[in-house]
Amino acid sequence: MRKVWVVIRREFVERIRTRWFWVMALLGPLFFAAVFVLPTVLASRGGVRQIVVVDATTGPVGARITHLLNDSPMFRAQRVPASGEVVDSLTTEVEQKRLGGFLIVTDAAADSGKAEYRGSNVSGFATVGALERTIGEVVSAVRLEREGVDPRVVARARIPVRLETKKIAGGKTTGETAAQSFSLAYFMGIILYTAILLYGINVMSSVLEEKTTRIVEVLVSSLRPFQLMLGKVLGVGAVSIFQFLIWGVSARLLFTHRPAFLTGRDVGEADQIFQVPHVSGATAAVFITYFLGGFFLYSAMFAAVGAISSSEQEARQAQQPISWLLVLSFVSMFGMLNDPGSAFAITLSLIPFSSPIAMPVRWAAGNLPVSELALSLAILLAAIGGVTWVAARIYRVGILMTGKRPNLKDLVRWIRTA
Amino acid sequence: MASPSPSPSPSPSPTPILILDRVSKRFAGHTAVDELSLSVSPGVIYGLLGPNGAGKTTTIRMIMDILEPDGGAVRVFGEPGGGRAHSERIGYLPEERGLYRKMRVLDVLVFLGEMKGVDRRQSRQRAETWLERLGLAQWKRRRVDELSKGMQQKVQFISTMLHDPDLLVLDEPFSGLDPVNAQVMKDTVLDLRSRGKTILFSTHIMEQAEKLCEQLCIIARGRKLVDGALSDIKRTHGGHHLVIGFDGSLGGAAQVFADKGLVSKVDNYGQYAELELASGADPQQILQRLVTSGARLSKFELQEASLNKIFIDLVGPDAARAEVRPDA
Repeated sequence: MRKVWVVIRREFVERIRTRWFWVMALLGPLFFAAVFVLPTVLASRGGVRQIVVVDATTGPVGARITHLLNDSPMFRAQRVPASGEVVDSLTTEVEQKRLGGFLIVTDAAADSGKAEYRGSNVSGFATVGALERTIGEVVSAVRLEREGVDPRVVARARIPVRLETKKIAGGKTTGETAAQSFSLAYFMGIILYTAILLYGINVMSSVLEEKTTRIVEVLVSSLRPFQLMLGKVLGVGAVSIFQFLIWGVSARLLFTHRPAFLTGRDVGEADQIFQVPHVSGATAAVFITYFLGGFFLYSAMFAAVGAISSSEQEARQAQQPISWLLVLSFVSMFGMLNDPGSAFAITLSLIPFSSPIAMPVRWAAGNLPVSELALSLAILLAAIGGVTWVAARIYRVGILMTGKRPNLKDLVRWIRTA
Repeated sequence: MASPSPSPSPSPSPTPILILDRVSKRFAGHTAVDELSLSVSPGVIYGLLGPNGAGKTTTIRMIMDILEPDGGAVRVFGEPGGGRAHSERIGYLPEERGLYRKMRVLDVLVFLGEMKGVDRRQSRQRAETWLERLGLAQWKRRRVDELSKGMQQKVQFISTMLHDPDLLVLDEPFSGLDPVNAQVMKDTVLDLRSRGKTILFSTHIMEQAEKLCEQLCIIARGRKLVDGALSDIKRTHGGHHLVIGFDGSLGGAAQVFADKGLVSKVDNYGQYAELELASGADPQQILQRLVTSGARLSKFELQEASLNKIFIDLVGPDAARAEVRPDA
């Protein structure tokens, strides 16, 4: 066992010494920053849009919309009376990026709730949403007043509604919002997929290096092939956990110091769009457990692929079926997020090749019975046992083979006789 | 070397350090090693000889526990089973060599030392001593792939000897070495031998084996052709050639030469003759017959055949040439 430890230490030390590791360690937080901070920054930047209200109304609607828009921190609005030339010149202004866009308000706004917005960024849904809300408020107020309602009553009735969605988990209402659950599930899926694939391929190239340099012969004369494979997988696994630790700490720092990145921005507004998830201890445990499970399962297969290949090129080809298994699990995550309780989602979270991604995603997205979690884990563990057994037999023969890559028939013979 | 070693015993103890007992290994469709038996006495240099593809590497891999025999038994240091259980006492240099290319020289050596059961601190100490000794001290912090091929070979020797093993198993140790490193290798082997270590090495170059080996085993197509002490093998397989010089009188020599029971072939020059002995013939008997026949002899020499000749005689000229190696 001491020798397994020596192998683990070599894998760990040599890997964290590489530039690759530290590039990943730095890119990870940058990735987090991009994902969590950018939407906030972009959304809040949309908030100071210069817009012009082209007023074609005969009543006070245009003026009231302009007034209300100026009340919002997102807009600076200016009202101009409508004419053909105004629209043309404003279009030029928008094209030259001097103006965010312009709103054309006619009497139809008050009658049927229709208005028109022309801008460089019509898809910015924060902008569009804010505009719609503002126009809607003015229109409903105007129409109520037309019906003879006292404007003061209308003003008092104007209470903005915010729907708070909360997740129920374990019979208790948590503080987690639906948006938070979604983004958490989404990111766990991405990270699990990327990490299992990356570190699995790390195991493969490590096996391949020892095989092509023939150092494996010296090693296998000192410890059993299985011990060598075990040490390798554990060593690379330790590196991945260390990488997560770095990411976790830096992500935490980014979240807590977020205001520093967003001085003067309306964080609350942006958080409506993309919520920063709260990661509970149980969620972290599920994540780590399934990551390790998936990593062991896949890296055993990747180790076998490394052992049957004689060159990087061959290995890249041979690992494709395994990568596809992972890609499939990853892609089906999007279907699962829509309905984490569907038969499709449940099936995927039980199949050991997809459960390492599917189960944490379901866990984060919605309430999950513990019995299902236990069953999925049990199946995953059994599969790790079985796959490792097969992989170890292929590994044992493969690391000493040179020349042509074995076909399926050869592999079956190796497994049976090794 | 860092630790003291036992002084060589004058007479090697009779208990062999390594025994193969009818060991076989089959690969898909062919038998690489076929019921091979041999035994290596402690403190000797033992040669495993054979043409390419004879099964030398497969045999060594079975000794090292890298391959499991399909039949027969291996005993190392008197215990059943291959060398893995004794890896701290065995140094192994595989035929095809390589190191972790991206690792630093010293780190590779420390790692390989630890794999052989030497603790980390001691492993580092010994590695430094060896690097110093082979003139690589200033390279210890460099990456392996920054070293020349010759230097990498030296690093690999060091990794084989770092744990001061009692038994060295070297597969084709001289192949691919530059002349300087071949010298280093030879000196190291002789030095280890003088300190009582046992060395088993394989080669297909007979000149080398003839100079270094005390015991040997010649195999071809996975089967043993002969084994034992070099001197015995030379005596039993090399003593077929007799050179005789006459001093005037030939006496009844012609009749002696004509005796098919003694001589299988004769090349008679009158005052000088070269004989090939019939199998089982005793040169001593020929000498006696010649003397009693009245011939006056100026020379009677039993010529020792080179190991190369014995090898070719045993293996046959076809098999002695390179063969395909399906297992390698």
